[in-house]
Amino acid sequence: MAMRATLRCLSANFSPRLPLLSSAGRDNRAARLRWVSGTRRTFSSCSVLSTALKFTEKHEWVQVEGGIGTVGISSYAQDALGDVVYCGLPEVGQRLEQMDEFGALESVKAASELYSPLTGEVTAINTQLAENPGLVNKDCYAEGWLIKMTIEKPEEVDALMDQAAYDKFIKSLEE
Amino acid sequence: MQGSRPLVRVVRLGLVSYQEGLRLQQVYVDRHRSGPAHSLLLCEHPPVYTTGIRHQPYPASRLDPLRLLGAEVHRANRGGLITFHGPGQLVCYPVLDLSGFRKVCRAVCTAACAGSVTRVLSPPPQSVRWYVAQLEKTVVSACGSLGVTATTSPHTGVWVGDNKICAMGIHCGRYVTSHGLALNCNTDLSWFSHIVPCGIEGKGVTSLSRELRRDVSVHEATPHLLAAFGEHFHCELSEDA
Repeated sequence: MAMRATLRCLSANFSPRLPLLSSAGRDNRAARLRWVSGTRRTFSSCSVLSTALKFTEKHEWVQVEGGIGTVGISSYAQDALGDVVYCGLPEVGQRLEQMDEFGALESVKAASELYSPLTGEVTAINTQLAENPGLVNKDCYAEGWLIKMTIEKPEEVDALMDQAAYDKFIKSLEE
Repeated sequence: MQGSRPLVRVVRLGLVSYQEGLRLQQVYVDRHRSGPAHSLLLCEHPPVYTTGIRHQPYPASRLDPLRLLGAEVHRANRGGLITFHGPGQLVCYPVLDLSGFRKVCRAVCTAACAGSVTRVLSPPPQSVRWYVAQLEKTVVSACGSLGVTATTSPHTGVWVGDNKICAMGIHCGRYVTSHGLALNCNTDLSWFSHIVPCGIEGKGVTSLSRELRRDVSVHEATPHLLAAFGEHFHCELSEDA
């Protein structure tokens, strides 16, 4: 049952300061979607550079900004897991193919695999999750982000579901 | 031919090493690639301590002394912290594709939640949260049918008071589950004294034999577990001839 991605305890492998979701030096910020668990409110700057969330069928989301994709899990996914107590994430620099298993989240004594939504290289992992894995539940679309990665194949982003398609997908699962 | 209930194949492995158990689980996990292949692997292991994906609390210096006791030590990609498996303990590895239990989940949740408010709070269909809860209920029922009143708690697993009678730790990838549960039947519980089971301080362990003050073997407990599994997972169990 060996996982292809090597899990590393978060505290061991990187500097404590990692870049936040950044506008890469631009003054105007890209639209930033802020979700509150259980409700959905969108704050938009109306910037033409806004990048909306795209979703996978494995309930991960990607937000692209400045050529970097930030990856997390959806509200549906965090609810399905229950309280997350541990996040096993890849190392910075690891290259992932789309659909590669890149880590796992533990909740209710269950280790659930995470799958890379895109092909690219890991540029950052969310170090806050080492001390506060519950951020994945509390703020899954913002502070609970998991990894950031380069985007080798932009067409993969285009092929992912937008919000409306994902909402429809979730509905089909619950029917 | 499958009716509306999922079909789960019971596979009795007997006494197998932990390593062999891992290998066989992978075989059954891989079978799901070509369609539904739900299986329930039953076995016992020679003495072995295992840890889950949270391995930082267990560096080699902490695990090596356990080997001196005559047990093997393995890291596993399951949830949960350190536990012990050994003779007299019924180990059950359900290898299910949870997406095949979506309708079961809905039926169970609808039946259990009469009011619409509770319905909203039910775990989503095919979720690990639902799966683990059903496993816990399965064990509670099995214990009950043997005359032991067991309960669940905020700590995943099944308890008799402050003593854990059944440990759980699972893995889920692409909706396919592996690892599972370990129910103490007539296990030598002294093996647990060398660890903090599941990392929970201040709690103990127990077994069906200890609770019923008579010998309860894996052989005796198995049909109770299978019956409870069939009931809580609304599935049909089949066995090879």
